[in-house]
Parts: sequence; C-alpha cells; structure tokens
Amino acid sequence: MRFSFNWLKNHLVTKLTLQEVADKLTSIGLEVEEVIDPSLTFKNFSLAQIKDVRKHPGADYLKVCTVTDTCGEEYNIVCGAANVRAGLKTILARPGAVIPISGATLRKSKIRGMVSDGMMCSSEELLLSSKHNGIIELNPDTDLTVSVADALGYDGGILDVSVTPNRGDCFSIRGIARDLAAAEAGEFLDIKIKDCLAAFPFPINVTYENSESYSHYVPMIAFRVIRGVRNGESPRWLVSKLKSAGMNSISAVVDLSNFWMMDQGRPTHIYDLGKINGDVQIRFAGIRETFIDIKGNEHKLLPDMMVAADDESPLCLLGIMGGKKTACTENTVDILIESALFDQIFVSKAGTLLNLTSDSRARFERGIDRDSCVSGLEGLTKLILENCGGAASEVCVVGENQIRDIKICLHRSKLEKVSGGSGDWNTDCQMLKKLGLKEVESGRDASTFSVPSWRSDLEIEEDLIEEVLRLRGYDSIQPECIDIMATGRDRILQKKMKIIEIKRLLISRGLSEVITYSFTKKELAEALGDGKKLIHLINPISVDLNVMRSSLLPNLLASASISQNYGRTNFGIFECGSVFHDDCEQQLRIAGIRLGNSDERNWLSKTRSVDVFDAKGDLFAVLQHCGAEEKVLSTEVPAPFYYHPSRSGTLLYKGKNIGFFGELHPKIGKLFNISGKIICFEILAEQALLLKPEVLLYRGKVFPKINRDFAFVLASKASVGNIVNEIYKLSPLIKKAVVFDCFDLNIRQKSIGITVTLVAEDRTLTEGDAQGISGKIIRYVESVGGELRRNEPDS
Amino acid sequence: MCLFALDKLLASCLLEIERCDNLKKLDVLKSTLFGKNGKVTEIMKELRNLDDSQKHKVGAEVNGLKNCIMEKLNAKFRELEVKELDKRLSSEFVDVSMPSRPEYSGKLHPLTKVEEEVSDILSSYGFVFAEGPDIESEYLNFTALNIPDHHPARTMHDTFYVHKLADEKGRRLLRTHTSPVQIRAMLENGAPCRFFSVGHVYRSDYDATHTPMFTQIEGLMVDQTVGFSHLKWIVSDFLKKFFVVKRMRVRFRPSFFPFTEPSAEVDISYDMRDGKMFFGAGEKWLEVCGCGEVHPNVLKYGNVDPEKYQGIAFGFGLERLASLKYGIPDLRGYFESDESWMSAFGFSHFAR
Repeated sequence: MRFSFNWLKNHLVTKLTLQEVADKLTSIGLEVEEVIDPSLTFKNFSLAQIKDVRKHPGADYLKVCTVTDTCGEEYNIVCGAANVRAGLKTILARPGAVIPISGATLRKSKIRGMVSDGMMCSSEELLLSSKHNGIIELNPDTDLTVSVADALGYDGGILDVSVTPNRGDCFSIRGIARDLAAAEAGEFLDIKIKDCLAAFPFPINVTYENSESYSHYVPMIAFRVIRGVRNGESPRWLVSKLKSAGMNSISAVVDLSNFWMMDQGRPTHIYDLGKINGDVQIRFAGIRETFIDIKGNEHKLLPDMMVAADDESPLCLLGIMGGKKTACTENTVDILIESALFDQIFVSKAGTLLNLTSDSRARFERGIDRDSCVSGLEGLTKLILENCGGAASEVCVVGENQIRDIKICLHRSKLEKVSGGSGDWNTDCQMLKKLGLKEVESGRDASTFSVPSWRSDLEIEEDLIEEVLRLRGYDSIQPECIDIMATGRDRILQKKMKIIEIKRLLISRGLSEVITYSFTKKELAEALGDGKKLIHLINPISVDLNVMRSSLLPNLLASASISQNYGRTNFGIFECGSVFHDDCEQQLRIAGIRLGNSDERNWLSKTRSVDVFDAKGDLFAVLQHCGAEEKVLSTEVPAPFYYHPSRSGTLLYKGKNIGFFGELHPKIGKLFNISGKIICFEILAEQALLLKPEVLLYRGKVFPKINRDFAFVLASKASVGNIVNEIYKLSPLIKKAVVFDCFDLNIRQKSIGITVTLVAEDRTLTEGDAQGISGKIIRYVESVGGELRRNEPDS
Repeated sequence: MCLFALDKLLASCLLEIERCDNLKKLDVLKSTLFGKNGKVTEIMKELRNLDDSQKHKVGAEVNGLKNCIMEKLNAKFRELEVKELDKRLSSEFVDVSMPSRPEYSGKLHPLTKVEEEVSDILSSYGFVFAEGPDIESEYLNFTALNIPDHHPARTMHDTFYVHKLADEKGRRLLRTHTSPVQIRAMLENGAPCRFFSVGHVYRSDYDATHTPMFTQIEGLMVDQTVGFSHLKWIVSDFLKKFFVVKRMRVRFRPSFFPFTEPSAEVDISYDMRDGKMFFGAGEKWLEVCGCGEVHPNVLKYGNVDPEKYQGIAFGFGLERLASLKYGIPDLRGYFESDESWMSAFGFSHFAR
C-alpha cells in the first residue's frame, strides 16, 4: 500500500522522520518496500523567483537572470530556456545538487564568459515528466517558504508498505497510524465520525433475497442517496493525496470514495442513481447471467456470486467491482452509496473464479472493520457534501451484523516462555490497549482482552503474544543457545550421504550432475516408460510438463539435445532423482547418458566413440560402491524396449533387476533430435542403496598367489559374463577371473582369454591344487560347448 | 725378471687404459692384462720360478704393479659408465612442454553442494533428517498446517493437483512446501523432537524469479520450552556458519504465515563492493528465511499437546542460499543444466 507521509500525519502526531517511520513500520511487521525521501532527492534545490532577465553579452539565445531563493539570497543564473521571464516562480538547483536525470553533480561554472551560480530546472531534468517544456513554472501563488518536495506534490515523502494477508486493518492509513502509535512512534489521532443530518427519506426500494441454501452468508449493507452533487474535477489536495497513493483522479465523487477507502480501509461503491431502472435487488446471480464491469469487460457469473441489480441487469459484483452501466460521470447529479460487510471467503471465492482483483476485494478478503458499515457511510457522506454539495437521504440498512465478541486471556508466564525473558507486563498490556483491545479483566499474571471490531485476525493467546512481541520489536529478544544434542548419522541421513558419495563418484568419472523438473511431457514419458500408468497433472504449467516423470531419461535427453544444439559433442550427464508411478508412488533412480567420443582429440591416444562398456563401467562403479560384489552381478539380455535390442543389457543382483545399460534405440535419438549413439545407464537406486558392502576380514600374512591363463573357443553368441560368473563358483580358491582377450575366429566362433588368480587363505598353494582347479575350469567350459585352444594364440 | 721392465709395463698399461674410450674396449684390455694369458697374469706365473729371497722382493713389486693397474682400470670403468649413461639419457629426450593426457571430471550441481553444507550444520545441532513424498495429500499440505479451505494457495492457480481420486485426506497435489514433513515427523516420533528436511516443492509460477519446482530446507524443534529466543539463536548461528562469517547482522521482522504464531521473516545485511556481495556487514537487507513459533493447531495436527510443548520452525529456499553464497544469478539456470552455467557454478568432485 502506497501513501504519503503527510497523509499518515493526518492520523498520527509524530516527531519521527520519514526514514525513522519506515524503519519502525518494518520492525512491527508492516514491511516498507520503498521509501521516497524528497528531502534527499532535493538537497541543494530550492524554490526561487526570477527578479530580472538580461541579455547574455556573448550569445543571443542565452539570458542572464537574477534569481532570489527561499532565504532571499540572490544568484546570477545563465539560462537558455524560452519561457524564462521576470516574476516567474521556479526551481533552482544550486552547486552541489545532483540532477536526477543525469546523476551529475552541479558546479558553479562559466557559460560563454559569464559566471552561473546554478541552474533553473525543467520538469524533465527532475524526472517529473518526459517532455521538455522549458523551466518549471510554479503556480504564481506558490508560497516560496514551503519545501521543493511539497511544491512538487511529494507530500512529505512516499511510503510503500507490504501488508500481510492477516492484517486487513492495516490496509488503511488510519490502521497503520494506530499500529505506529501502539509501538510508541507517535500519538494516534482517533477522529470520531459524526452522523450527517438526513434531508429526506431513503427514496428507493431495496429487496433482499433470502436464500435458504446460503443462509450462512448474510451480508449487511447500508445505502444512502445524495441528490444534487457537482461531480466535477477533484480539489487539488485530493488529487495530490491520490497521486501519492498511485491512483489517478477520475471524478470528485469517485476520488472521494477511493480516498475514504485508503484513509479508513472502508470500501464503498457509488452508483449513478439516474441510471438505475426500478428497485435495487440484492440477490444471487442467475444461471448464465453476465455482468459488464466498470472497465467494460464481460463476465459470466455463477449462481453463488452475489450482485446488486436493478430490474434489467446486475449493477455491481458485490464486494469486488462495480458495473459500467451505473458508473458515475461528470453529468452525474444523484448518487446511491453502498457500504457493506461481506464475507471474506465469499468475496475471495468469487474474485478467484472470475480472476478479478480490486482494491475493494483485497480489503474484504483480508477482513474489514465489522462496525464500519454505517459509520463509514456517514464519513464518506460528509466528505461528499463538503466537496461536491448536495443533500443526503436517510440511511437504509439491509441484513445484519453478526456480533462477534472475542475475549482472549493473556498469561504472563506463557508470554515469557515464548519471548525467553521478562518484559514489562504493564507496558505490554498498555500496548495492546493502544491497538484498541479492551482490558476486560486485568491482573498481575494474566489479563483478559476483548478484541476490537477491526481485528478479526486475533483469535488465540498466541496472537496476542505476537502483538506484544512485534510491538516491542523482535530485536528486544535476546538469542538463547539451545542445548546441543549429539546425534549420529541416522539411517536416512546415511542414505543421503551415500547418494552424495555416488554423485561424487560419477563426477570423478567425467559425468556432470544435472537437476531437471519432476514433470515431463506425456509423449516423451511414454516413449521411455515401463508401461506403468503415468501420473497426470490436472493443471500443468505447460503441455510440455503435463505428467510426473516415470523415468529420468526424458528430461536428461532433452537437456542433452539442447547441449548438442549448442555445439557440445563429447559429454556425459547424470541425474539422481525421484520418478513417479501410479501404483508405487515415488522411487529414487540414478541415470546417466554419454554422447560422442570418450576422449577429446589428443596426441597421446587415439579417440574412440563411447560404447556400451562405458555405461556398464559407470553402472558397475556405482553398484560396487554400494557394496555389490562383481561376482554376484550378472548381465542378461534384453533391456527395456527403448534400448538397442542387441547392444544393451539388464543387470541382476542375486537374480533381481538392479539396473539397465546400453545403447539407446536409434528411434529415441530421433525423437529427441540427438545425433550419434546415445549410451545410457539406469540404476534402481532404492534397491542399490539397500546393499551392504561386504566386510573383508584381515587375515594377516598373505600367501602367494598363482595365475593361470586359459584360451577358449566359444560360440559367437555365448555369454562370456555368465561363464566367468560360473567359474567363480567352481572353487573358493578362485579370487579373480578376468577376461583379457576376445576376438572372432570366424563367423560362428570367438576366442577368449581368461586369467584366473588362485589364493588360499591358510597355506601356500601347490602345483597340484592349481592343476585340479584348471581341470575343473576346462571341464566346465567344455560342458557349455566351449573348448580349450591347444595352440596358444601368441605362440 | 727385470724391475725396469716392470716399470715399463706399468707405464704402457696405464697409457692403454687411459686411451680406452668405451666400455667394450676396456673389457678387452682387462682380459689382455688379467686374462688366462694376460700380461700381468704371465708375470705372476713367472714369480713361481724365482728363489725365495727374490720372490719376496719382486713379489712385492709385482703386487704393487697389479694393484696400481687394477685401480686405474676400475676408475676408468666408473668414468666410462657415467659417460655412457649420460649419453644414453640425453638420447632419450622428450619435449616435456607437450600437454599431458586429458583428464575428465564432471561437475557437482551447486544445489547438491549447498544441501550437503546445510545438512552438516543442522545435524550439528542435533537435527535429524526426515523425508516425505513429493506427491502429498491436501490434508497434510494445507489442513494440518492451519491453512484454511479458502486460502488462495489452495487454488489451481498456485498449486499443482494430480489426477487421483480424493479420499478422506482430500485431493492429491504436489507439495507446495516441505512443511508436511513436520506433521509426518511429529506423528511418527512425538515430542520432543528435532527434524530437518530438504526437498523439491512445486508452485505454478514461472518467470525470472520463480520456477515451477524449487528446493526448500526446513527445520523443526519441539520441546517443553523452546521460544523465540532459541529460534533467533538457531537461525542466526546457522546463517553465520553457512556464510562462513565471524559476525552476521541478522534482522527479524514480524510477518505472517498460517502455520506459525508469532511469525518472522529474517533478513541478513550485506554490502556491495565491486559488484560482489559481502555478508555480515553493510546497511542493505536481504530476506533469506521465514520462521516462527509453531502454531498450536499445527502441533495438535501433529498429535503434540500444545499445552505441554512448544515448537519452532524455520525454512529457507535452497536456490536462494546457493545464489547468495556462490553468486549465481538467474534461478532458472538451476534446472536448465546448461554447460557454461555448470562450468561456472558447478563444483569438482572433491570440493567440500
């Protein structure tokens, strides 16, 4: 909420400066978002009058003026403006002034040989307008003793306050002044509103629909007619006040209504009485009824929205916005004023459904003073009669105010428990009273307060504690150390730390971590899904993000595609995040992709493109870090359908799926517009994180190991991985079996070289041991269709 | 045997040794002197023919000659070995100004780094990590946090709802904050307790300062007496540790949240020097945290008796913390995974 400092001073007598008031507001919870302090902006500027204008001896277009400032001091000013003339009242910038448009500091200077003691300013130079119309011409009757800021309508400076949604009462200058006074920033001027004398009875018929189905919602509305108003231009004080609030002047009557809303927080609506046909009906909107608002926009109303209507059509969407039909113009003579008490939720719902915001809605939504219905109407009537003339009718009230009498007991002990120390109990109670609370029962350890009509946000004791603490200022609370309980890393934190270790591991392998949105596009999710039902968003932010991801791959691939478009060729990225399925809600996954070459071009090695075994390497590195032993991991084909059917696999841990790896199907590359092979791995992280690293016991002295190399001939499509896994099972002495060579012999057969390491933990192995195991290995390979190559390949 | 001849032999041997310029020649020379029929060997053999009186005298002379030659020979061996090694090494030249083998290391996302930092600090206060799902019930996300039915946050405008049937816990939605974890933690563990949670939250908003998904970190402490003074200490100490400054100017401003009463927003002071932010000093303020005393209704929803227990809670935006600490400008960069962004703001794998 924006308003001027002088406006605030209508309600608050204060010795504080603008900035001090701003700081105070922020410290009591009314955050000041902007302060415009003209006394800083206009330092070294003053109001001035031109006494005398002479020709410049050195230039035809320049004039030399004698100017007196506020203190009567004379200056010689060289000026080139066309409108410069003797007697003109204007604004003078003296040396040291910072000119707003350029930010430059003005200095005394010589212009064409003549000394100039300063500069007379245009409104453009002061950033007051964008047009250059010569120097500013102040009104001839301007009092030269006021400040520059006041002469320019800054009204003592501007405050922009952000009001939290619970503080409807502070959506008014009066309310803000009351809060400041309670925080000892000044004295609140509690201006009482007197009733106006009625000149005639209320002249129109108001009907009130009493719908049974909406019986919980009974608004109270007060009406009054004023006849014979002059709705011309608003007086200058009014225009200037509204301007400080960022509002444009429309017409006197409308401006006064807006002024009253800002001043008192009391929204009202004014109808042009001459445009109302027949009775005024307060009713719910009809089915398919439409309403044209004051800006000319048409809205389709719903049956639970309330309107004021005449015999023809809705005139006003109650609590939110008036209609075009009965808008006041300069020709308006007779007016109908509506001042009401609408339900917060009701106004909020209607406004949200129609997506209509207004100052009125903002106040009703947050809650307005429940007792201001009639008094607010009286206050506005007085303003209109004073400024626009006319005669007022009697007041007509429909509906009723449901009395709420809330009493809250504040216990001193509870207050101290929250604040951590003891404040002064009497001062605290005094502050609450200044907010308008009535101390109905006072005591040394507890006091009971009744809540005023404008503070519907105060309901429980904690609310009062907050009031006391914020008015004292949170700064007054001394920080107090908590007792530190040592806790170890619990189960979940341990899992979290494990995840970070995995991330760091993958990074050391050349992959970069990315984080992408948890939602993705349905078509992409389906192309990379596992056939399970997707979770759809009812209200996605865009059609490209309309389902929850069931795989990390769509967003990873989209991101890779963008990188490739930006010219990256060789890179890898991974993500560790949740995926969502309709049946088993949320699961952790890790997935990575690599594109292009494994190496940048370099002089030491040949580059090669990334392949399936890079992905398998990443996958193994993670699983081994999690604690999976290589020999219990087995590789099987196939992988899911979005992988290359003969260059991909599924990794099983003790017979259960734990990850996938391989080259993606070329159609996926096409879908994401990625060129080249895409190498990819996916880890079912929930399962992987359950693994426990095997604890290896230290058995002292290590006995010598024996290595044996074997060369086998196998069928081309034989699974070497499975053979190696089986070899491990042949003897506990086999500690390692590594494939060191593999090549095709012919179209049907391949040759593999395996080196096997044997170690016993309790003795030195003999040649006999080694031969026995070798025999077992050879017999096993023969049993699966392989044979030992008798002639060694490299002999 | 003539002693004069011995002297001559010695001189010629020494000369020959001196003239040798490689190890091979020296080897050959050695065998012509000390081999089976070598010159020195021959003389030694002749000694056997002498009578005892001569044997003694000449023997000493011959031994002296033999030792002298041996010594010279060994010295020459050492000299030539050094020379030849030097020669070989100089022939093994490589241009060490050539680049080494390329190394490949990725980057850690700054949010992961900051999450780790924040978790470390909160764990040090005895806060235990707690989790909850991203897809929450309307009940846990709103109702149990004292956010009334008509609150604007509940509208489709701000909150993402998912296509699932509503049950007694209301519709299913993407959590708009991590606070439902507070309720879950209280229900599961009771009071007293200390928890923190980190996770993705979702709000239907997209511009330079909003992304539809972002990350929150939130702490909750419930105990018999835990007041605003404790809250001030924890939040201030946390900020001091997070920004690694000795002193941190922190401002607590009254504010409003439905789930806390009293509520506060927390600003930290900073100073701009050469376009960089310095925290802990300066006159400018920046909002970093929302916090407060847990509303008694929220404690009740967590099955904690508000007559017996108090709670404090605080929350930060992880992206904002990361942006401030590491000077990361646009919020959207966090989820775009652009390479230049990652190389500027990502961390190497051993960065702690």
